This record gives sequence, C-alpha cells and structure tokens, in this order.
Amino acid sequence: MSGAGVRIGAVVRKEFIHVGRDPRLLAVVLIMPIIQLLLFAYAISFDVRHLPTVVVDLDHTPDSAAYLRAYEASGLFDVVGHGADPTAVDTAFDRNEAQVAVIVPAGFAASLARGEQAQVGVLVDGSEPNSARVAQTYSMALNQLYGRALAVEWASTQGVDLGQIGLVEPRLRTWYNPDRASSIFLVPGLMVVIIMIVTAQQTAVTLVREREQGTAEQLMVSPLRRIELMVGKLTPWVIMAFLDIVVIAVLGVVLFGVPMRGDPVALAVGATLFVASCLGIGLIVSAVAPSLDTANMAAFLVAFLPAFLLSGFAFALDQIPPVLEWISRLFPARYMVTISRSVLLKGAGFPEVWPQVAALAAYALISLLIAVRLHGRRA
Amino acid sequence: MTREGEVHGIPADPSAAISVRGLTKTFGNFTAVDGIDLDVPRGQVFGFLGPNGSGKTTTIRILTGTSAPRRGQALVLGEDVVAHPERVRPRIGYMSQKFALFEDLTVDENLRFYAGVYALDPAVFAARRRYILEMADLQGRERELTRNLSVGWRQRLALGTATIHEPALFFLDAPTSGVDPVARRQFWDLLYELAGRGVTLFVTTHYMEEASHCHRLAFIYRGRIVAEGSPSEIRANLSTQRVYDVTVRDADLALSWLETADGIAEAYLSGAALHAVIDRGVDRGAGALRDRLVAAGFADAVVVSVEPTIEDVFVNLVSRERGA
Repeated sequence: MSGAGVRIGAVVRKEFIHVGRDPRLLAVVLIMPIIQLLLFAYAISFDVRHLPTVVVDLDHTPDSAAYLRAYEASGLFDVVGHGADPTAVDTAFDRNEAQVAVIVPAGFAASLARGEQAQVGVLVDGSEPNSARVAQTYSMALNQLYGRALAVEWASTQGVDLGQIGLVEPRLRTWYNPDRASSIFLVPGLMVVIIMIVTAQQTAVTLVREREQGTAEQLMVSPLRRIELMVGKLTPWVIMAFLDIVVIAVLGVVLFGVPMRGDPVALAVGATLFVASCLGIGLIVSAVAPSLDTANMAAFLVAFLPAFLLSGFAFALDQIPPVLEWISRLFPARYMVTISRSVLLKGAGFPEVWPQVAALAAYALISLLIAVRLHGRRA
Repeated sequence: MTREGEVHGIPADPSAAISVRGLTKTFGNFTAVDGIDLDVPRGQVFGFLGPNGSGKTTTIRILTGTSAPRRGQALVLGEDVVAHPERVRPRIGYMSQKFALFEDLTVDENLRFYAGVYALDPAVFAARRRYILEMADLQGRERELTRNLSVGWRQRLALGTATIHEPALFFLDAPTSGVDPVARRQFWDLLYELAGRGVTLFVTTHYMEEASHCHRLAFIYRGRIVAEGSPSEIRANLSTQRVYDVTVRDADLALSWLETADGIAEAYLSGAALHAVIDRGVDRGAGALRDRLVAAGFADAVVVSVEPTIEDVFVNLVSRERGA
C-alpha cells in the first residue's frame, strides 16, 4: 500500500473507533434513522380516516339521502349520528363525538332538479387542524365527484353537450398516493433528512473536534496531508450514510410497501451528489466555526432545519411562505427529496429528474470548492 | 551583492539542524517575527525563550512548515522548509502543551494511529512500541483509555507518540506548562535521554529554571532575538551589574520604593523575594542597601548578594529593549 493509503487507512480506522466508543454518536447513526422511520410511519401518522361525522338532513328527499350515503360509502367518514336540526352539531362537537358535520339544507333536491348548484354545509372541528384540513379536502373532493355525477346525469337526460354549459369545472386534483398513506410518502423524504444529519452535521463536528483537542495541530506537522486527513475523516461518514440509505429503503419496502417504481441508477447518482453537497456544507461549517459548540449549532441550522422544514419533507413547498420557498432553494435537501419521491413513488428516471440532478451536481461542486478554499486559507 | 537571507553576510548553514536568515512574519500590521537569524547545531538542546506573544510559536510554525514566512530563509535539516515542507516533515517531531492524544482511544490505539500516520513498517512499529511503553512506564496498561491516565503518564505517552518515527529534530512548544515540578524534572530526564541519542531539541518555555537545562539559548522579544548564547554567556550580559535578593514583609511597598530609589538600575519580583540590580560603578554592597531600606522604613529587610539567574538577565534585556 502506498504511503497515502496507509495514512488515510489509519485515520479511517481511528474514526470508526471514535464512533464505536461514543454511544450517542452510535445512536445518531444507527438507531435514530429506524426510530424516526417508525415514529413517522406509525405514531405521527398524517393519515386521516374514519372521521366521526354527524349528518343533518333538512331536505328529507331521496336525493339528499343518496348524497349523505356517499359520505358513508367513502370510508373516510364514519357517520356516528343523525341530527334533527343544526344545534345537534354543536352538541356533537362539544362532546367530541364528531369532528365533521354535514348539513343538507331544505331545497337541495329542488336546486339539483333545476340544474343549479346545490348548497351543502360542511362543518369541521378546527381544534385539530391537521384532521380539519384533510376533512375539508375530502368533503370538497367528494362534493365535486358527487356533483359531477349529478351534473352528468342531468346533462345526459337533457341531451346537452357538457363542454358548452360550463357547469362542470374541469379542476384537476393530484391524486398521488390516493390513500394518503403518509408512510409511503415520508420514507423517501426521511432518507434525505437522515443523510443530511449523518454527513453534514458529523462532518462539521468531527473536524472542529480535532482542532479543539490540539490533534489537528499535531497532524499538520506530520506527513499526513490535509486532503488525506479530510478523506480519512469523511470516508466513515459516507459509508454510514449509504448504509442508512439502504436500511431505510429496505425497511420502507418491506414494512411499508414503498414501491420502487423508477430508475435506481438515477436515485444512486442523486444520492451521491447529495452526499457530496452535504460534505461540502459540513466542511464549510467546520472551516468557519471557532468552537465545537458553534459548529454543532451552525450544522443544526444549515443541515437539520432546512432538511426537515424546507425540503418538502414535512411541509409541502407550495404551501410555505414565498420567502421560505426561496430560501429552500439554497439548500440541497429539496432537490434530493424531489428526486427520491419521483423515483420511488412516481417511477421517474433521468428524463424527469435531470433538473434536480443538475442542481445537486452544481451544488456539490461549488460547496466543495468553497470548502477547500476556506480550509486552505486557515493554514 | 547580498541576497536576501544573507543578512549577516554568512549564508544559511545546511549542515545545522536549523539555520534561519532574516525570517519575517507579519499578520496585517503586526510583525510577529522581525527578521531573525538563528543557528541550531545538530545534537543540541536549544532553548527558545521569551514572554507570551513574543513570536515563539510563530517561529515554530514556520520551522515546521505549517506557516509561510513573509520574507527570509529557513533551512531545517538542510532542506528549505518553506519550499518543501513534505521533505522535512517525516524527519521532525512536534509536541505542544496540548498533548495530541485521542482521549477516547487506548494507549495502544494512539500508538497505532501515529504509526499509521508516519507509515511505519510493522517490524519498526513493534520495536518502537516496546520502547515507548517502557519509556513511558505504561507496560501492562496498553488497553487503558488515554483519558484515564494521569497527567504525567499522558505527557510521557504524548512524547512517545510524537517521537514514534524517531525524528532527527524535535520541536517542543511549552511542553511542561501545567505540569507539576516533579513531573517536569522527570520529563526533562527523558528529553536528555533523547538528546543523548543524538536528537536535536528545540524547546520553548517560559519556566526560566528550565533554561539552564539547555546547551544554547535564544531570547526572543517582540519578534526580535535580543540575546543568544550558552547559559553562562547569557549570564555574562550582567557582568557589569550586581543582583541583590531582598526579603521583606511588605514586598509591594518595598518594590515601589526600590523602583524609584537612586542608583537602582532595576527592581522586580522574583519568586517570593525582590531582586534589585545595581551597576557595579555605584554599588556599595549588601549592607549599604540594607541600611537604605531600613532608613526608608523597612526595618525587617534582609539583603543577600546572589548570582544572576537567566531570569535576571532577561528582565534586564526586556527593560533595555523597552527603554530603547
């Protein structure tokens, strides 16, 4: 083995010993990904099903009864009670018996018969915002489907061309993941968060620690080159990051039935570029952070938070304020989340995700160049 | 024609362990090292002394190839360390007061790591490991975590790992600060052993009593070398003056009296006592000084004439520099 190989090997081995001796670090690398996966998939489920619902039929017609039956049939709403008048809704909400109330006013069937849009009141208990939002979406979708069925029925009996009367708005909804099984949706994003933590955060901390101990000073005087030290110190984290990717992917497929629909090569190339970007960020932090505490805090701010909040992992990027959406473009996580979801869920390959792959390639190149420059200057 | 780096007209000496000409390092407007010349013969213990911030560590950084000078020439073991640090590094060692040990690694793992860094041959490593464990008195404790060793052992292990590759030249930057006097003496015994095997030692310290352990000394102050020579040559700097040791209960008040008294060239705290330096021309002996102190109200003053220490010389040099 060449001198450089021996030297880098010594650093890699030492680094693995550090990880093995530090139970907290070991937990971060090996246990946290699994815990997060289980936590997000089971405990903090974003799935909303079987919403307890109370219905109030003030129309008392076959049409109104058919409309309300559609709620029951959807499986999304569990009709727990029939109220005689709207005050029943308050009572049900107060007693936490229902989260949703559907009120069909008198004249519902008559409006439909005249070809007008019928009014229906859907009340949602807003004290649980996530369920509330989902319930709202469901009932709107339901109304639309039902309304379209009605309209189509009406139109066909009257023999009118649908396209001309404009009653049916051709509004498109993205029915990806139609069951809204959040685990399937979360696994690809979680992968990205974990890589970011394991690589960017640990890279930032591990080099600063060496400096704080005075060992960096010692190594600078030795034949170990700066680049050899970096490669040696980063290699274990890259290995562990890819290990985590495999563990999450396997768990995702086996436990949660995450489909692997797209091109695995595109995913692997994206992941490699993403890991390189994370290393770049970590190295930049380690070059500018004066102490271990600062490095930890800075890594948290630039690695963990954006990966978690601004990547599309937890919050959809089109629902966050424009300023934050713009900021999210400065971090690599959002590109990787898109790649990961597109490949795993939508069956994408390079033709679909090349803009994100290109963005990550540029990101990796620039961040690594800045990092090398900053570390060179510190000498 | 004089090339840069031949300030004294004598070119740098490639046969010396260290030979430096006109070395200058600036940080912005601050000149940390100001055109120094230095020659350290091979096989010597060379003491590099000076107060904090005087340029000691900056000089070591340049000589170990981790910092580039603004001007000047630095030959280390005959190689130009500025141009080719990689030729010098395998042959030099370095140790600072931060023992560069990984505390969560065992004694053996630390040794193995540094052996890897210097790409030692397995057979060489086995022999060096045996030697270091014996030298540091760590036989049987190879599998102990470094964190659990007490300071003295850690220091000896750090000395072992820093010299695992048997360097010809060994830099020590204040290696004994923060170590108790007994451990300090034991450590110097180990340094002598190294010197006895022909290793050149370049030691910085601010413990003046350690200066007398060295073959040669250089004193750096504000980036300039203000004195250089053997300990006895350095002491000869004070041959025109006498040093008196003054013991008095109210030392603070006595010091301010001495600082302003006629005929006293220099007065300062030295350990628990005061030192007063008087030019031989106006010196009238210990008794006369005691009489003056008693007259000034220090009835318990005890005055003894002493041999000037290295510290006396340096205090004197610094005050001359300040006056200049």
